[in-house]
Amino acid sequence: MLLIEADGKALFAEQGIPMPAGVVVTGDVPTPPGNGPWMVKAQVPVGGRGKAGGIRRCDTRAAVEAAVAGMIGTRLKGHEIDACLVEAAAFGQERYLAIMVDAASYGLRVIYAKQGGVEIEQSGAAVGRLCPPHPGAVAEALAELIADEPDAWRDQVAAIGKALATMLLERELALAEINPLFVSESGCVAGDAKVVIDLNAIGRQPRIAEMVAARPALYLDANRKIAEGFDYVELDPEGEIGLVTTGAGLSMMLIDELTARGAKPLNFCDIRTGQMRGSPARLIRVLEWITARSSLKAVLVNIFAGITDLGEFAGLLAAAIQASPSLRVPVVARLVGRNAAEARRILGEAQPGMLVTEDLEEALARIDSIVGAAA
Amino acid sequence: MIGSLSRTTPVIVQGITGRMGRSHAALMRAYGTNIVGGTSTRTDMKEVAGVPVFASCAEAVLATGAVASVAMAPPEETWTAVQEALAAGIKLVVTVAEGVPMHDAIKIGRAVRRAGATWVGASTPGLAVPGECKLGFLPDVCLNPGPIGIMSKSGTLSYEVGYRLARDGLGQSIWVGVGGDPVKGVRFADMLPVFFDDPGTKGIVLVGEVGGTEEEECAEAYARLGARKPLYALIAGREAKEGVSMGHAGALVHGESGTLASKTKQLTAAGATVFGSIESLIDRCTRTYRFDKR
Repeated sequence: MLLIEADGKALFAEQGIPMPAGVVVTGDVPTPPGNGPWMVKAQVPVGGRGKAGGIRRCDTRAAVEAAVAGMIGTRLKGHEIDACLVEAAAFGQERYLAIMVDAASYGLRVIYAKQGGVEIEQSGAAVGRLCPPHPGAVAEALAELIADEPDAWRDQVAAIGKALATMLLERELALAEINPLFVSESGCVAGDAKVVIDLNAIGRQPRIAEMVAARPALYLDANRKIAEGFDYVELDPEGEIGLVTTGAGLSMMLIDELTARGAKPLNFCDIRTGQMRGSPARLIRVLEWITARSSLKAVLVNIFAGITDLGEFAGLLAAAIQASPSLRVPVVARLVGRNAAEARRILGEAQPGMLVTEDLEEALARIDSIVGAAA
Repeated sequence: MIGSLSRTTPVIVQGITGRMGRSHAALMRAYGTNIVGGTSTRTDMKEVAGVPVFASCAEAVLATGAVASVAMAPPEETWTAVQEALAAGIKLVVTVAEGVPMHDAIKIGRAVRRAGATWVGASTPGLAVPGECKLGFLPDVCLNPGPIGIMSKSGTLSYEVGYRLARDGLGQSIWVGVGGDPVKGVRFADMLPVFFDDPGTKGIVLVGEVGGTEEEECAEAYARLGARKPLYALIAGREAKEGVSMGHAGALVHGESGTLASKTKQLTAAGATVFGSIESLIDRCTRTYRFDKR
């Protein structure tokens, strides 16, 4: 999961990586550091902020205030901006430095490029070296990559690289990237921070856990996963089809197929029936989130039960539907696997009129007709 | 190792006295897998699912000659479990835990590579040679012996594909869940030589997801190895939200990298066929392999 720049920079600061003086603002702008110019940057956990208009350079305090006021409360690539980072603009030549987990080699990839900037990832200008996951190995790899940098800043870039590697390994990160890294005779500073954390390691990374918990709105999906123990991601607050589904891959595929048919899925969901242990609580929670959206037209339940007893699941689903007064749209259930016939019987009694089928195409066709009729 | 699995391959279950261990040891045995024992730190259970419980992998291997292991360990303990299996000389380790930390997976990968062993995981429903054995918990209702090799990042989406193939009288030669983690054991590209060399495999189904570059690597290997058997791909996540993991840590799109467009383009260029829906994939398989039904 991608951290916002301000959080990434907080981790940088702990490793002694130099960066421009800055302040995070959520409303009124305090006196910004230095005499300008300044950079105003939207703090949302998504790449490509510059191209999307989330980064502005301002020469005056008034321009800073206007830029902040213009960003806060608006949306950038699907995320509401509730904070901006205001920083003294940095000077120097731009470089790109990244260290990331390289899955195929079970090691790290160190990338250094003489041109920083927004196009770097696509341009292929970046040179990379693979190395084992140790700070010393990263230092060696980076030393080769920066061999032709001038004496004036070569050692400082090497030191930043070493700090970045230490941080990546200690915090169990997937990626630590600085783009741009400003280099000049008067020093080097990190112009940006792109840090991707591993949510699976959060149980033993208290510093990261604290960061994620501190921003419940910005890191909504991650906090929900940590709190609830399963995945739920809202895709479209104006979506029409609520999904109660198991399995990440199958849920993604259903979203793709529904979208291709012209339907608007509301959410992604991997509810993990195996963890319910006889309680409808989790189903009730998901129905509560789904029915909170007034655009909802239907709920599609899709459970492929390899292990789960569908008879038991059907009982929980019936109980959850009865306990959800806000659910006023049709529910279509596609249940396949162990004890599917019993599930059909249970839901047939509890929810007469509800389509319960083993055939996914039939369930999707019913969704089509409900959405069509509602439109 | 995967290509030579059969009903005689001796398999142990690490963590056999836990809830998952007990239930899946019994289910695997019922399917026909030669489960020869298990390990546990508990000393009060001498036998589970009709097989002996040992204190360590080393003891289990010594007593049973096991060459493969299914590790039913929690995510934070998976790395320790794999170390123990490798030290005992196990040659195929299947790890099923969801949420193994990425840096642990790097350690596992390096240790497995040093040992010359094979690892399926970190998080996988397992693998199967239908009609012979299964290691893990692929649902029996989806398994049917047949001509199609399946490799999948997603458990449930592959269940859906396997189930519909089985319902239509088709089946699978070898089925491997490579799992949805970015850092993992066997990758798509590693499976191509296995499928190419397996006389029972006539065609290959790849069930992929957005994120990472595994599908692209597989496309490159497919072309390089001479595209010896048809490759059909289904890739989930066209509508995935940028920067957000959709359930699987590996299914993360940043900018252009890992997108469906990139994967489709490279697979198609390599000679594979990419399908936009489950139904269209199944249609193609049933038409192509209609004489292989049973």
